[in-house]
Parts: sequence; C-alpha cells; structure tokens
Amino acid sequence: MSTISKEHSDRLYWLGRYTERFFTTLKALDKMFDRMLGQSHIYTEYLDHFGIVNTYSDSREFIRSFLYDEFNPNSAAYSLERAYDNGIVLREEISTPALSFLQMAKDTLKKAETSPNPRLSLLPLEDIVYGFWGSVNEHIYDDEIRNIIYIGKTIERLDLYIRMKYPFATVEKEFIRLCKNLNRVPKATPYRYNTKYLSQLVEILGSQSEYESNADKAVASLGHLFDTSEVTV
Amino acid sequence: MIGVIAVKDLEQKHFTKAVGNANEINELLRRYGVKFGIYKNGVFNEQFFPFDPIPRVITAEDFASIEKGLVQRVDALNEFLFDIYHDKKIVRDGIIPEDFIYISKGYLAECEGITPKNRIYSHISGIDLVQAKDGVWYILEDNLRIPSGASYPLIARELTRIAAPQAFEENEIVDNRGYAQLLKETMEYANCGGIRAILTPGRYNAAYFEHSYLAEHTGSVLVQNDELFVEDNMLYHRTYSGGKTRIGVLYRRIADEYLDPLTFLPESLIGIPNLMEAYRSGNVGIINAPGNGVADDKGIYYFVPKMIKYYLCEEPILRNAPTYLPFYDEDMKYVMDNLERLVIKDVAEAGGYGVVFGSDLTKEKLEEFRKTIIAEPRRFIAQEVIDFLDLPILDNGETVMRKADLRAFVLSGETTRVWASGLTRFSRNPDSFVVNSSQGGGFKDTWVLK
Repeated sequence: MSTISKEHSDRLYWLGRYTERFFTTLKALDKMFDRMLGQSHIYTEYLDHFGIVNTYSDSREFIRSFLYDEFNPNSAAYSLERAYDNGIVLREEISTPALSFLQMAKDTLKKAETSPNPRLSLLPLEDIVYGFWGSVNEHIYDDEIRNIIYIGKTIERLDLYIRMKYPFATVEKEFIRLCKNLNRVPKATPYRYNTKYLSQLVEILGSQSEYESNADKAVASLGHLFDTSEVTV
Repeated sequence: MIGVIAVKDLEQKHFTKAVGNANEINELLRRYGVKFGIYKNGVFNEQFFPFDPIPRVITAEDFASIEKGLVQRVDALNEFLFDIYHDKKIVRDGIIPEDFIYISKGYLAECEGITPKNRIYSHISGIDLVQAKDGVWYILEDNLRIPSGASYPLIARELTRIAAPQAFEENEIVDNRGYAQLLKETMEYANCGGIRAILTPGRYNAAYFEHSYLAEHTGSVLVQNDELFVEDNMLYHRTYSGGKTRIGVLYRRIADEYLDPLTFLPESLIGIPNLMEAYRSGNVGIINAPGNGVADDKGIYYFVPKMIKYYLCEEPILRNAPTYLPFYDEDMKYVMDNLERLVIKDVAEAGGYGVVFGSDLTKEKLEEFRKTIIAEPRRFIAQEVIDFLDLPILDNGETVMRKADLRAFVLSGETTRVWASGLTRFSRNPDSFVVNSSQGGGFKDTWVLK
C-alpha cells in the first residue's frame, strides 16, 4: 500500500467526520427551516437533541448561528472549516479536484448568507458534497486508505442519527455499513476497532427496543471505538 | 540581439489582448485553492494570488537564446558549488576574492567535501530576469536554494485552457504542463534509493499550496519533519501502521539552517536530526543541496559572468544588470558619486526586502545611507536602475502598464533543461519596481511561442 503517516491517517478520518457533520447538519437544518414555517419555535427540538441551552431570541437567530457562525462549534460553517483544515493538508492523497469541492462549498455557504432566499442558495451544497465524495472515491486508489475516510464518515453519520433520534431502520442500515468498513481494517493499524465497544454497539443497535432505551450508551461506545484523537489544526 | 524581435512581434501581433475573462479565471483559481500565505503583524492570512489574464509572450527565437543562456549560467553555478565545497580553485586563481565566499551567510562549512549524487547541487534554479525597453534581457538574481512559484503558471495555464480555449487554438504556444514530469525526472536523478518526498514546514508556510500541489502532481509524499527519522544513516518515513518506508530523495522546502538541528540551528523544530549524516553518506538526495546560498548571494551575482568564462571557457550569453561592489575602491567611488540614481540591495535580504532606490531617499537619508555603505561595504551591491519593459495588465477592466519580471525555472538532471514557461510577476503599484507577491504583486502566465 502507499506510504501514509499517522497524522495523515488521522486527518483523513477527521476529514470524513467533518464533511459528514457539515452535510448532515445542513440537511437537518433544511428540514428545520421547513418545519419552522408554521411553528417558529420548533427549533428548540434541534437544540434538545444536542443538549444545547436555548440562548436564541428567535428562529432567525438560531438558523443564522447554526448555518453560518464559524465560532459556533455546532454550526455547518464550523464543520466545513474543520473539514477544509484537514483537507488542505491532504491534497496529494485526495487530489486538487476533491479539495476544490470544499472550497466551492465554503464559497457557496458564504454567498447564501446574504441571499434573500438562503434555502434556495444552499441547495447546490448537496451536489457539491456528493461531488466531493465522488472525487475522493475516484482519486484514492488504495482501498485501505480510502476506507479510513469512509469510517470517519459513517461514524459521524451514525453518531448524529442516533443523537437526532432517527428511525431504527435508518440507524441499523448505517451501522451495517460501518461494520463492513471496520472489517476491512488490518490489525495493528490505528483504525482497528476496540472489540469491547463494538460488541456493545452490536447489542444496542441490534434491536429497536435496545436502541430506543440505550441511545446515549451507543453514542458513548461510538466515541471509544478507536484510541485515536483529533489532530490539532 | 535577444529581445528586439520579441518586442517587435509583440507590437505586430497585438498580444496585449486579455485571454479570457479575468473574473472567470480568478474564480477558477479560487476554486482550486491557488493561494499563498502571508504574515501581517504576526497573524497568518491566506490570500488568493491575483492573476492577470494578459500573458507575457516570448517568441520562439527569443526563448531559444534565453534558454541557451540559462543553461550556461546554471551549469557554471553548479560547477562553482562543487569547486567551493572542494578545491576552491576559483578563489586560488584569484577570480573571486575569498572574502566573498566566507563572509556569505549562504556558505556552510558543514557542507565541505560533500558531493551530491551526480555532482548536481542546484537541481531547481529560479532565475529572475527582466527585459529592458530596448529588448535586452538582464539577469536580476539567481535563486538556488528553494525557489518557489512554478506551480502558479502551471495551474493558471490549465485553468485558462478551460476558460479561454480559443486562445490556444488561435496561437501556437508551447505546452507548459510537463513541469511535474520534468521535476519528477529531476528528483529521480537525485534519488539514492527509495520513495520521493517533499518536505514542507506545514500548512502555515507562505508556499504551502505549491508544496502540496507539486507533491500531488509528481506522485511524491508530502511530509513534515515529525513523520521522518534517520536510522542507520538512512532517512525513513514513519507510516501510520507503525512501519517505515525509505526515502531516496527529499525535495525540502525549508531553509538550510533549519534542516538538521544536530548540524545547524539546534533550536530548529522543523528539522530532522541526523539528516545531514544520511546525506553525507550518500543515502538520500537533498534537493536543492544544502549550502547553495553561497552561489546565489547578491554579492556573488557580480561574479557569475566570470564563473562562466572560468569554468566553461565561454562568453556569457545573458547579461547581468550593471552591478557595482562597494568592496572594490573603484566601485565604491562610483557608487558614492551616483548614489541618488542607483538601486542598492542588501545582500542578506530576499523577497523584495532590503532594496532601496537612491532616487526615493531624501538628502538626509541619502547621506545616512552613504555612511552605512562606507561602514559595511560587503553588505551591499549597487545596480543601475534598468528601465524595464512595462507589461499590460487589466486593472478594473482598464488596460494599464506595470513593471514585471520573469522567473525562469531551470531543472538540472541528466541534462539541464529550461521549462518553457515561467512565472511573470508584476507590480500592482504604478510607481513601483517591486513585483514580489509578499509585497502585493500579481502574476501572469508566460507563453513561449512555437
């Protein structure tokens, strides 16, 4: 396989996580946008999922902060910046075209901030993120390296889906996807899973009733699946 | 004469036309992250490098002469570097006074006796030229340490071909997109057995875009020092699974003094301990060789035409800008008599810093400066101000004329080759001769016609 350092493997993993966090946040906020049309205070539901105290005066302020505020660690803009920070040092692994999708996403998000119809302006972001993933898939030839970024992506998706109480059927599908990715990781590499926490996840996400009663435990187990931490930017 | 034909052709063929829409191309450059970093008041900012869509055009005939001159110059400089770190015949034969060698900050005693693979020291040379209004090309300076900038015209050409394809149908232009291949071949020629790697100080370096772009396009691994280690005099890359991969050639983009804390600055946090031992043992090639600074010192520049005669027994093809060394009494007298119309350069500075135009100084400052030169004659060189050719650039939709230089890239491997393109940098300030990106300059593509 190609030579890749520990730092780059960690950055790939976090690039996967932050890109997915950006994407899922964006989609969740889009749904929230729609629901807020009739009931403007419904956004507190979103805050509850993440245990965030409501300090927002209205839905407009909430949306502005969660979409565009780069200093709000729960915002789409923050996740995108972190994805970019990780991506920029991976050019030779993921390619200039793949990186260009992240720059396009940044530019599109920035433009949407001043648009009279942000929802419409944000629509291209979905295409851009799909373009990013297609490009990554196209340019990383080494299956083992490609798998690292997909593990990051799936872990993040599963984490958010569980926190946002997505239906069991959806979570189950994502968990199966994660297990497939994990099985491709060779032993003695940083993304080899911790057996104890994987077993806990199998138990919790194996049935609807366990999922509904032990969602918090599942999120904690996901966090302990690897002994690796985020690279400081 | 070199250049006259080019100027004539420029007028005849009206190459002042913009190639494509500036906004479209700059938008594409944004999309592909063509940036450079700059520190202002201690804060790092990434900036997009402003691109001007009117190319600098060099005719085939003109380029052929420049090419010949550059190959000659770089070959002589490589001979000089070998000589200086071995027998120093050029000093013994009295061609260059030894003061100019040993006082130079670029001379590294630690490199004495080291012979890099195939005796090449400057694998990638960035030679800065300007074209005077009479069409003559002059060498402004040689950059033999870590010259940067090739990636910008490379990606700009790629994107201009998308934004303005008709320009490439209507004109017969030498394709410049082979730079990565040239670089790869150059790296391979210096390879002592192992993979190719590009060493970057990290994301917050001014030229980080270039480091990562060249790594991607040459199929090299982009590395930082903490991923590397020396074991049994071999350089290795530490892999994520705990293994190691041998590095055969390291294209380092950090300065000599930071390369190895056990040999140079002990406080360097971006170097690799024992790298110089691995290099000295011939187990890793370093591009460019450490110690090259002695040859691109602004004081040594004066002697390059003499080197060409000495080592190659040839007449220099390209001219230096008329230069005076206050170190010599005769030159000191000339400098003192003409200070107000000369440009004075501090030999220790780079990047457009330490350049003073006598005409910009008040009478008091001029006198003050005069004393500094007398006190430290070795520190400065003085040059005639070349009235170099203005090039057209687009400024808010208007075509205006600005000063521009050309950085040509010469790659030395099995043979010495000049990349048929180059980085044309221009000043955005109408009154300035300083074109460096760090001083707010922009860049153009450089077309060489077939």
